[in-house]
Amino acid sequence: MANVEQHELKKRKVGSGTGEAVVTKLDAAPAMDHDEKKYAKVAMNAIAQESSLPDVYNPILPLLFTALALFTRLYRIGRSNIVTWDEAHFGKFGSHYLKREFYFDVHPPLGKMLVGLSGYLANYNGSFEFKSGEKYPEELDYVFMRVFNAMFGVLTVPLAYYTAAGLGFSPAAVWLVTLMVLCENSYATISRFILLDSMLLFFTFTTMFCLVQFHNQQPKPFGRKWWKWLILTGTSIGCVCSVKWVGLFATALVGIYTIDDLWQKFGDLKMPKVAYAKHWAARGAFLIVWPFLIYALNFYLHFTILENSGPGDAQMSSLFQANLKGTDLTSSPVEIMYGSRATIKNMGYGGGLLHSHVQTYPEGSQQQQITCYHHKDANNEWFFYPNRYEPEFSSEGELRNVRDGATIRLIHAQTGRNLHSHQVAAPVTKSAWEVSCYGNLTIGDDKDHWQVEIIDDLKHRDHSKLRTLTSAFRLRHPTLGCYLRAANVNLPQWGFKQVEVTCTKENDPKDVHTHWNVENHWNDKLPIGEAADYKSPFWRDFVHLNVAMMTSNNALVPDPDKQDDLASQAWQWPLAHVGLRMCSWDKNVVKYFLLGNPIVYWGSTASLGAFGLLVLWYLVRWQRSYQDLTRADFDHFHYAGFYPVLGWALHYIPFFIMGRVLYVHHYFPALWFAILTFGFVFDWLTRRLPGGAKVLVYGAAYVAVVGVFVYFSPVTFGMEGEAEKYKYLRWLRTWRIHGQE
Amino acid sequence: MAESPALRQRAGKKKATITTPEPEDLTAPYTKVTSGPKYSKKAYGIAVTVLTALAFITRFYRISHPAEVVFDEVHFGKFAAYYIQRTYFFDVHPPFAKLLFGFVGWLIGFDGEFKFENIGDDYVKNNVPYVLMRALPATLGALTVPIVFGIMQEANYGLPACVLAASWVLFDNAHIAETRLILLDACLVFSMAFSIYAYVCFMRHSKTPFTRGWWMWLMLTGLGLSSVFSTKYVGLFTYFTIGVGVLFDLWRLLDVNHGLTLPQFGKHFAARAWGLIIMPFCIYLFWFWVHFTVLSKSGPGDDFMSPEFQATLSDNPLTASSVPVYYGDVITLQHKDTKAFLHSHPGRYPLRYEDGRVSSQGQQVTGYPFDDINNHWRIHPGSPVRVAGDAILNGDLFKLEHVQTNTILLTHDVASPNYPTNQEFTTVPIVDANAGRFNDTVFELRMEKGKPGQPWRTKAGLARIVAKQYGVAMWTQNTKPLPDWGFKQQEINGNKAITQPSNIWYPASVVGPAEAERLATEPKKEVKTVPFLKKWWELQTAMIRHNNALTSEHPYASWPGSWPFLSRGVSFWTKDATREQIYLLGNPVGWIIASSTLAVYAGIALAQALTERRGVKVLSERDGRRIWEVTGFFVLAWAAHWIPFWGMGRQLFLHHYLPGHLCSSLVLGAVVEFIGSRIHEKAARIIGNGHDARKFKEEMARGVGMEEVMVTGLLGVLVWTFWWFAPVTYGTPGLDVEGVLGRKWMSTWDLHFAK
Repeated sequence: MANVEQHELKKRKVGSGTGEAVVTKLDAAPAMDHDEKKYAKVAMNAIAQESSLPDVYNPILPLLFTALALFTRLYRIGRSNIVTWDEAHFGKFGSHYLKREFYFDVHPPLGKMLVGLSGYLANYNGSFEFKSGEKYPEELDYVFMRVFNAMFGVLTVPLAYYTAAGLGFSPAAVWLVTLMVLCENSYATISRFILLDSMLLFFTFTTMFCLVQFHNQQPKPFGRKWWKWLILTGTSIGCVCSVKWVGLFATALVGIYTIDDLWQKFGDLKMPKVAYAKHWAARGAFLIVWPFLIYALNFYLHFTILENSGPGDAQMSSLFQANLKGTDLTSSPVEIMYGSRATIKNMGYGGGLLHSHVQTYPEGSQQQQITCYHHKDANNEWFFYPNRYEPEFSSEGELRNVRDGATIRLIHAQTGRNLHSHQVAAPVTKSAWEVSCYGNLTIGDDKDHWQVEIIDDLKHRDHSKLRTLTSAFRLRHPTLGCYLRAANVNLPQWGFKQVEVTCTKENDPKDVHTHWNVENHWNDKLPIGEAADYKSPFWRDFVHLNVAMMTSNNALVPDPDKQDDLASQAWQWPLAHVGLRMCSWDKNVVKYFLLGNPIVYWGSTASLGAFGLLVLWYLVRWQRSYQDLTRADFDHFHYAGFYPVLGWALHYIPFFIMGRVLYVHHYFPALWFAILTFGFVFDWLTRRLPGGAKVLVYGAAYVAVVGVFVYFSPVTFGMEGEAEKYKYLRWLRTWRIHGQE
Repeated sequence: MAESPALRQRAGKKKATITTPEPEDLTAPYTKVTSGPKYSKKAYGIAVTVLTALAFITRFYRISHPAEVVFDEVHFGKFAAYYIQRTYFFDVHPPFAKLLFGFVGWLIGFDGEFKFENIGDDYVKNNVPYVLMRALPATLGALTVPIVFGIMQEANYGLPACVLAASWVLFDNAHIAETRLILLDACLVFSMAFSIYAYVCFMRHSKTPFTRGWWMWLMLTGLGLSSVFSTKYVGLFTYFTIGVGVLFDLWRLLDVNHGLTLPQFGKHFAARAWGLIIMPFCIYLFWFWVHFTVLSKSGPGDDFMSPEFQATLSDNPLTASSVPVYYGDVITLQHKDTKAFLHSHPGRYPLRYEDGRVSSQGQQVTGYPFDDINNHWRIHPGSPVRVAGDAILNGDLFKLEHVQTNTILLTHDVASPNYPTNQEFTTVPIVDANAGRFNDTVFELRMEKGKPGQPWRTKAGLARIVAKQYGVAMWTQNTKPLPDWGFKQQEINGNKAITQPSNIWYPASVVGPAEAERLATEPKKEVKTVPFLKKWWELQTAMIRHNNALTSEHPYASWPGSWPFLSRGVSFWTKDATREQIYLLGNPVGWIIASSTLAVYAGIALAQALTERRGVKVLSERDGRRIWEVTGFFVLAWAAHWIPFWGMGRQLFLHHYLPGHLCSSLVLGAVVEFIGSRIHEKAARIIGNGHDARKFKEEMARGVGMEEVMVTGLLGVLVWTFWWFAPVTYGTPGLDVEGVLGRKWMSTWDLHFAK
């Protein structure tokens, strides 16, 4: 925020003294000229005013750049006919939309729904499995699907052009920025496949673009265009967050801009209070509520489209699953009896199924692990058995209901061990007791006992009997007085990152993480019950799915035992220190290497440092009372320089504290802001150069950017044959373009 | 927030451009403007004396109880013992405070034989002069109280505010419990408070730069800072706090209206760089130098260091018993991380594993941590250039023969039992090995940081053993043992990730009389020396690495968000027989009030920022600046000692908040004075309406004001809670169930003996 504040100071100072002339000019501008484009130019383009270069708003150049983008993004797009890299994931997710089967993934649905749409348009029926490295079948028009994705990549180029123009860069700098996006190898590579990144980039670009357009409408608040760009900015935020959560960083950028803006308006003593309140209300409505609604709408569509039961069922609440078509949940007997086999679901947001497997705890009791698991398998099944003081269960005997208050045992169907707790600290949540699986039918003690406490029943007034799906119950450990609980805490690698199950000492009936319900229920002696006709409310499903996504995302941490050749570290990205092999490196495969244009990467990174030095230079000079900058200069520095740097920082620095596995493409949104910074710094440093020198400098820059792109184009357009052929591209030892290791 | 004061300053500058430039008074916020001093110097003197006396009483009361090892005395007592015995140890904290304990122990004649192994070990029986060792932190803890008083006084707060802030530390149960034991925190908190004190004094000398007083306080600030971060790295937060203050100060000096030329400014800059960066860092290094000088003998910390480093320690096994290995020798090979020996026995791998994969059914090769005849391997050349009796050099190819079964070690393209991605290790009879499988049996010696041709020696020869044919390194781990068929021993397999640090092995010994013979003929080895800076750098990086690795859970660990409102304590010590316990818990009322004050400050600051932005002047210039620059500095200190913990992955405990609590006490004093004076002024305006308001104000100033009333009330509550929680702070007397439950104000306080 330092610069924002400084800007404030500067404005005051200038306003009271030497800056008078500039201010007058600014205020007078609307009166002189009502053409909005030209107005924006006067306000933002103070530097380029005397330039003899052609008008940036002439549509011919952007059209030309877009045409070139069609080339860099589409050329040879169908050459590799195998499932490349994460197409294996996102293609598959697209298929699920076509088959309308419920699946689960850590990313929000918009991007994947668009992939599904592309498949729909390509007449694809969703039957292909998208196994990594597998050849696409004849009937699947993968080229169309890729082209659909690549169009998002193409559109980033005109967006880059108009964003740079809107920021008031000189035409030469606008072209430079556009060229840098156009000839960015990594952008061109990533948008050629069926992935979410081209969409994420597209919406990141639109967010910055809309923000710039909105900013340029600031002199005419509440005008038609002002509203238009405000709403579009909000829409863009909603979309970018609906593709990947990384979009929250773009949202933060808009948020900081808005706070900065409102704080300035707060100091404007002439502004009527009602107008000020209106500013707040407009932003609250269209930058908070509206994007949130768009985000929620995406989930609404997601739930609506995926109406059939599928591989992701187990991530959701039992009630949600019961409403999916083709689920086996509704064909269960209703009342649970002793001897019934059942799966038990945690009712907290993001809760999973009570699970055990033969692996043991490496510490604590070293007994068999108990976890919460989000996939359906036989290890989730439990038998309800009477406690050890009661007569042993016999399948011949009379059927007895499991009732509220009953003390039971739960026996793991696959291993025959009892759900057990004892005074051993749980592996992660040390303040609670560990829950394990112990003994068998005969070996064991009263620590295998659990008391059923029925809290609620969705359908029946009578809470005395335990029923499938509708009963919510807690399991109390009578000896320790603790309650069975699972609260989305991931176990370490030895527990396969599944969710920890503990016995909590606190008795909080409102804690839904201690609430459980029976999901599947099997008992041959009982009739199949009616389907539950209780709908799970949308907002509940929405929250539930988001919590589940967050939990899974947290589990995506690097495994210290495994060395992931593809993963990289955040510090490597701005230096283009590593690339990424997107497919097998066999000589018969068309090989793609995800590597940025080194000039763009190194140039943009250097410009960030240069920007810091420029700021320091002007600050020190200012403190020594040199009058270097006019008001217009200052505004330009603030909006066209500082905000891109802030955008870069917001999109980059959080990765240092993220625990999850990181890949080079996580830097792509940040790179866009770094490129804008480069444009700003380059423009700033060259604006005083005489015409001839300028032509020379820009010419050299264009040639370098385009030249290096062409030089590295094999990594983007696909390398055929022996990788050794492309040895010459290995500028850095860490770029694994050829060789085994 | 740091920027905001500049706002006001800008207003000054605007004036300056119109009228004649006038240097800004940097000390202004630190001076008082009230008509006459309400409290005499003597009153301050009496107050600080009483508080100090009370501090010593509260810290030394029954300091000999319990006569047992309590909580982390296990570590820090042990480290003192190591210093006294001069045996090398490794710890993640810098040496300063630990050296102090060692020094005190040495002074009072502690021999260091007792190693503080377990909580509850008896001091009296083991003849440990623990009371005198505890006296060091208790003294530092007691002296923290007058320092806090001093900070407030030097920052020109009234007597009530000074007493309030100092009492908040004086009567705090957590500060007391923590400083009565052999722990580092007393030293940390004392030096942290001292640094702030010295800095405030330094700021008071701003008007007279480069005088003796100015230099002295600058140097003392540097000294204080170096002591904080030579105690624990949390000290960097203090460094940051004062760093921000100094930068802010320099920024104003840079202002052209301040009248300094650039060379003059350069002088200011250089003085601070010397006093606050270079000198503290040199002192920091000095403590490491003392550390290395004292710890001259080999000890439990050897393993953390490189062989070159270990060679600088006397009696080190690496220097004492390392011999070269020759072809034909029978050796044992030990894994560096798990200490398991390479082992084989007649058992075979089962044909099918549980998951259905198939093995080679070859002879098992395992890792076994105990001495055993099956750990013996004869080493043969793997290439014709070497013959038996030659020295084994880095980069050599060799084969290993299992002596008991006469079989040759090999690895092949079969998945290992637990790791489908790693290669299985097994052995085959010599005949088979020489026939078709020669290539599978050849291993390459890749010594860690080895030079080509360097001879392989026992103990010191850390190396990776890489299968020539497949490029996999021999590896083992002890988290996932083999099933019953493998006798729960460790699995040995071939790891494709050769560079992993866990692939390191070394020859533990040469079996038979050869070792002793060779040792006898070895030239007598001197204890080597390594340049100090190199040693320091090695230790420094190892400390950072291990600090980051301290992520395991602890039953009493807590997260930073729970600290300000004290929702969890730490159980230090319990004694079942007498139902006594020490439970680290702050003074609950004290902590909650101090933390709430921060919210009050935020409210005041926000209101001030908003009104200022709207051009409304509520506070006088001086009051406004005090809010931003003095109280704001305390708030910054608090934030700097609290917020960074959120980003830390390591185990955190309540006592990490003690510096933060101290800062919040300073804020409390400042805010109470501010509120008191505001009420005062308001009252003067209302009541004095029609009368002479100014006269009224002066009268009020002489008598008992709002502030004194507030302070007295707060102190009453504070002392009562202190007294109420004293039994769990001092660990005596024991409490019955009712007594424990009566003190269990929050359900999350897991006090013992509640049942």
